[in-house]
Amino acid sequence: MIHEFIISDLTVISIYVIVVLSFNLTVGFTGLVNLGHMAFFGFGAYASALLTLSGVPWYIALPLAGILTGILGAIIAAITVRLKGDYFQIVTLGLVFIAITISRNWISLTRGALGLPGVPEIIRNNFHYMLFVMAILTACVIFFYWLTNSETGKIFQAIRDDETATAILGKNTYLYKVLSITISTFFAGIAGSLFVHYIQFVDPTIFDLEFFVLILAMLIAGGLASIKGSIIGVFSLSILLTSIRFIFADISPELIGAMRQMLFMLILILILIYRPRGMFGKVDV
Amino acid sequence: MPLLDILPQLIVNGLIAGSIYALAASGFSLIYYVVKFQYFSHGAIMAIAAYSFFAFVNLMHLNYILAAILTIIISIVVTLLKNLFVYGQLRKRKATPTISLITSVVVLIFISSLLLAIFGSSTKIISFYNKTFDFGTFTITLIQVSVIASAILLFLFLWFIVKKTKFGKAMRALADNKDVAQIVGINPEKIYIYTFIISAIFGAIGGVLLGLEQNLYPRMGIPIIIKGFIGSVVGGLGSVPGAIAGGLFIGLAENIGVLYLPTGYKDVISFSVLLLFLLFRPQGILGVKIRDT
Repeated sequence: MIHEFIISDLTVISIYVIVVLSFNLTVGFTGLVNLGHMAFFGFGAYASALLTLSGVPWYIALPLAGILTGILGAIIAAITVRLKGDYFQIVTLGLVFIAITISRNWISLTRGALGLPGVPEIIRNNFHYMLFVMAILTACVIFFYWLTNSETGKIFQAIRDDETATAILGKNTYLYKVLSITISTFFAGIAGSLFVHYIQFVDPTIFDLEFFVLILAMLIAGGLASIKGSIIGVFSLSILLTSIRFIFADISPELIGAMRQMLFMLILILILIYRPRGMFGKVDV
Repeated sequence: MPLLDILPQLIVNGLIAGSIYALAASGFSLIYYVVKFQYFSHGAIMAIAAYSFFAFVNLMHLNYILAAILTIIISIVVTLLKNLFVYGQLRKRKATPTISLITSVVVLIFISSLLLAIFGSSTKIISFYNKTFDFGTFTITLIQVSVIASAILLFLFLWFIVKKTKFGKAMRALADNKDVAQIVGINPEKIYIYTFIISAIFGAIGGVLLGLEQNLYPRMGIPIIIKGFIGSVVGGLGSVPGAIAGGLFIGLAENIGVLYLPTGYKDVISFSVLLLFLLFRPQGILGVKIRDT
């Protein structure tokens, strides 16, 4: 029997890989710096939690959370992808802050800061759930390999490298950009659903800047526009985080949390300064 | 009490909150205008200033003037250290604006954790001499009067520097066109350092005022810089007068909105304003054009 600790880590890591892969599709492959990705992840988590809490079985709630998140992503993309440069980043970053506000204040739906406890598990046995998540992850990895090598994937990358030229070749770049965000947010919603059914709880801290920075760091450490990079990026930063847990073991708990956070942020700063392209990155953000 | 009777009080409250937001927004916008990246770690400087002032006044019992001066010095030193070790290195390596933005968020979280490590997670209150003035339709405290007064003084100081000094001219030249500015002999790194110092002074005073108005907690830099960010986007990102207008607008909208919504919805109001501006007028109130890529 594998240790419970490792099972829990591998489940969370697999979910993070799905998030980072979907994040990479828009940021790395399509060149749309969507800083609101975690808002969609959180939306998927909330959607799935609310659906299952109101009695919908998980095998409907899981895909539905993805589809609803994808639809939301398509609507937001349809409005925002025409914005250029910094404006697109600002709008998408604003989405995270808007998500925080709604989840905190729409108390009749989300119970505000109290969060939603008691989200049902999909599979009671943690080891089996880990295998289930890994199976979905494998499907995602295969899908993203196929997508990024398909004609659509090539067009995404052409838009990133030179949008005007792609438009001249007769491609509707607007539709392709919306499509990229729709696919990406669909998977973010699926990941959010898998996450919420694992930890069985969701509250507005899912939209915290710290969590967003962690996912973003995994994306950058692995490298943009690289599927292999995303997988290795998540694994290496997760291993780093886990090993930091053991460093400051003998000081007060409050201080430990702060020291770990500082050390991790320091490492991120070094990566951002010295290796902004990460391990396998092919493009700059 | 009829709703309109409390309107004067709400406007006063809005101006107080708005002044602090405007201080956060103008520091953020000034860096965006000159150094060209979204400077989220400005919130961290405000938090450091609030905690330093607390430490000097309540733990070391220094007098207020000395405490304020030391706080400003600490804020400038931390800002320059950030510039030396982080932002300067990013510029040297020609980091993209997105990488700089992410780094500034990472620095913000780093400094929040540093404050947590030093001061602990319990909230702190700066105990400070205060006095309430009653004007019949509204009341205002001495601290709140000084919030508004110092904001106005700082904005006049900034206006004077940017518009009336040689340094301000160099700064505007650099902001408009870095290459041409360098050709005529302006040293960008020097101007960047002075710009960071000005933003640190704004952050220091804004942080102290924020600390006098509310409780201190290690993550306090995050919500205030989000308000500063909203203020500068609403005002027109990259325009310092716009940031001031945007900050005041957000402060007033949040407080006057209390007429119609419960106080818990203050954040909802500012984000709704942000959303409306982003969708219909992304260039903000003053309509400056920002970088297209």
